[in-house]
Amino acid sequence: MVAAMSNSAAVAASAWVTTFLERLPAPVGELEAVQWRGREALSRQPLPSRRQEDWRFTDLAALTALAPALAPALAPASEQGRWPEPAAGVVRLWLDAPGDPLAGQSLPAGLSLLDADEVQQALGHTLATCNCEQHWPVELNQASAPRVLALRVSAVVAPTLELVSQAAGDGVMRPVRVLLLLEEKASLEVLQVQLGSGSSLTSLVIEAHLGRESTLRHGLLALGEGPACFLGHLAVEQEPRSLLESVWASHGWALSRFEPRVVQVDGEATTSLKALQLADGQQLADTHSRVEFRGPEGQLDQLHKAIADDRGRSVFNGAVKVPRAAQRTNASQLSRNLLISNQARIDTKPELEIVADDVRCAHGATVSRLQTDELFYLQSRGLSAAVAAGLLKRGFCEEVLRALPAAAAPWRPLQRLLGEI
Amino acid sequence: MTTTTSVSDLVSQPYKYGFVTDIETDKIDKGLSEDVVRLISSKKNEPQFLLDFRLRAYKQWLRMEEPDWAALGHPAIDYQEIIYYAAPRQQEKKASLDEVDPKLLETFDKLGIPLSEQKRLSNVAVDAVFDSVSIATTYREKLAEHGVIFCSISEAVKDHPELIERYLGTVVPSNDNFFAALNSAVFSDGSFVFIPKGVECPMELSTYFRINSGDTGQFERTLIVAEEGASVSYLEGCTAPMFDTNQLHAAVVELVTLDDASIKYSTVQNWYAGDENGVGGIYNFVTKRGHCRGDRSHISWTQVETGSAITWKYPSCVLQGADSVGEFYSVALTNNLQQADTGTKMVHVGPRTRSTIVSKGISAGRSSNSYRGLVQIGPKATGARNYSQCDSMLIGDQAAANTYPYIRSQQPEASVEHEASTCRISADQLFYLQSRGIGFEEAVSMMVSGFCRDVFNQLPMEFAAEADKLLALKLEGSVG
Repeated sequence: MVAAMSNSAAVAASAWVTTFLERLPAPVGELEAVQWRGREALSRQPLPSRRQEDWRFTDLAALTALAPALAPALAPASEQGRWPEPAAGVVRLWLDAPGDPLAGQSLPAGLSLLDADEVQQALGHTLATCNCEQHWPVELNQASAPRVLALRVSAVVAPTLELVSQAAGDGVMRPVRVLLLLEEKASLEVLQVQLGSGSSLTSLVIEAHLGRESTLRHGLLALGEGPACFLGHLAVEQEPRSLLESVWASHGWALSRFEPRVVQVDGEATTSLKALQLADGQQLADTHSRVEFRGPEGQLDQLHKAIADDRGRSVFNGAVKVPRAAQRTNASQLSRNLLISNQARIDTKPELEIVADDVRCAHGATVSRLQTDELFYLQSRGLSAAVAAGLLKRGFCEEVLRALPAAAAPWRPLQRLLGEI
Repeated sequence: MTTTTSVSDLVSQPYKYGFVTDIETDKIDKGLSEDVVRLISSKKNEPQFLLDFRLRAYKQWLRMEEPDWAALGHPAIDYQEIIYYAAPRQQEKKASLDEVDPKLLETFDKLGIPLSEQKRLSNVAVDAVFDSVSIATTYREKLAEHGVIFCSISEAVKDHPELIERYLGTVVPSNDNFFAALNSAVFSDGSFVFIPKGVECPMELSTYFRINSGDTGQFERTLIVAEEGASVSYLEGCTAPMFDTNQLHAAVVELVTLDDASIKYSTVQNWYAGDENGVGGIYNFVTKRGHCRGDRSHISWTQVETGSAITWKYPSCVLQGADSVGEFYSVALTNNLQQADTGTKMVHVGPRTRSTIVSKGISAGRSSNSYRGLVQIGPKATGARNYSQCDSMLIGDQAAANTYPYIRSQQPEASVEHEASTCRISADQLFYLQSRGIGFEEAVSMMVSGFCRDVFNQLPMEFAAEADKLLALKLEGSVG
């Protein structure tokens, strides 16, 4: 019975992929070769199934419910009308612009575009280092992305770079690919905003190579609504004494799965990962992170927060790998979850693999509702139960949202996440 | 300094239980088929319901695949190369121990398990299992006075078939997993304990498992039932001789507690672990599960896992009755090339159920030691609470310590907390102890037993002392 069901599910999955591939436009442009490779890979591996350990908690029903006739089309120019004005000191690039995303703008000092040869050399390198170049969501992006924003960061870049992409309307597929090469001592702050609505699919792949003593602050704000789905992949290679600060906040997608993968190639680097995901309605919000230390004296500070309300499901799987070479690693991981409704569900699974003896690795996880003594305290001060609960939820979210780049403020992330807009 | 044995004295000892008893055994041909299942059942003169249970399990097993999700690696097991039944050749189980083959009694004496009357000083009733069958059960009459049934499971099938039929396979169904299905098809013996309503078992019960043959698998099955208000403490010990082949041990343990009942199950597992190059040793693939059926019932698992080449074991609690309590205390030590993937599952079904998990893993040599746990809070488990703590200690830079704690919650009125840490034996602590005149290895041994204190405190007295010594022995000078 079970075998029969999973067979028919497998048939449906491969039909979905086949139709998806058939409807893609012929490979063309600077990523033509990558597109060919991605399509071939997809035709060989249909959708991941829940029988695979990595996808056990991720139900892809919301994805397959989207019409497979998704077309990676560029956006009409009218789309950006409703976006807030970028703050001062922020350079906004519209990634889905029908023409060149840089049209009419010059890049700030310290940033330059990679030429075609450099892109060909560098693209996929970090994915391979992070061992995820054949990962299904990555192949999906490779099969469909028509172009890549490939930037070299050669110095400290003062303005914040804001990258905006929107998948609005039914049947839109929005593949976004970004490649960042940070040279020694360079520094960049990026805010990436991904918006989705209607029966659309957003597929994001970001690769970043951090040279020695470089700094990347990456904020990702992923806001969806309705049946829109989001698959995101962040692959980062860190050289010694580099710093990565990644903050990610998501809400509103029928299905969202974000996969940060960080490799400290020679240790001695610092990684900070902060995430906040909200799942209500019938949404599924999933984060699968993996941090690998390949050298000594690496640092990791990871905080993952989730709120599951209504019939929402939140999934967190956080792998940390400390092999023998990674002596004196100091890693901490904390997963904090609020379960608000009794039809919601939280799945959280840290995975620590340690083969070095002189390390400090700690992790913790909690799942509970709002603390009754905290609610009581606020109510004793004259706040109603609803206001008190709202305040505590706000505080819970703020800890992560505060870490987003300041450029996120005009997007009003807290209000959007709490459904106040 | 004269009273405590230091690690260096202990390390020079080989695995002291590694001898083979030369005794005539009645073995069936190796391999597994429906005929073999029928043969085992007929050798034991089993009633029809049990044969049906075995055959159903065998058919389910044929359709199942060996689990591969654990962080373990071993060459494929050829299930047709294993002998599924071996019994020391002696007459029907004796009324008196005088009639038991003296060689067998000698074996258990060597293991420190006194079966003969004059040596039974401690207040512990023992069931001794040698390869596939139970040899002797002590103190039966005294227990019977209280209405407690403590016997081998084959005797229970003959004498209390209604209890076996009512409870066997209700906690671990025969299709639960690959190894449980295999066990259900071919299980040979094990212990049965039944504590009637309102009875507090007057003494500790204990089973001692011994694998003797080199090519035999051991598939024992233990079933413990505590009726309303009953309580019992049960100990399990295991050893095996040294062979350079691997033997399979796939046991199933089922515990059932009704209202207000309590079962405390302690294990000191010291199967042969293979030599320092990883040759030989037991594959220990065990399914242990307790079912708190009644309200306010209590199941506690305590395990000290030091042996086996591979351990795959997750003693679990299904907390169904309201206000029931599950506990899991574990020390798992791996050295050389041992691999252990162990942990627990706490499944909270009923309201206000509580569970505690304390797991201490010590990895030395080139071994790998994983904690894998599940805490599941069902939608009806309002007010449920869990606290888990898992700590790992690494000795040397080639050992692996993995932690996979998994939490699933569907109940907002429940709270789940998990914390974990990793440490090693720190140089300053060692220096401090040495500056006080304590030898290096003794200092290590003190620190390891301090690390495990939370778990040892849960063990019955005699076992706690043994467990402490066992850990020191197993570390085999791997520090420094």
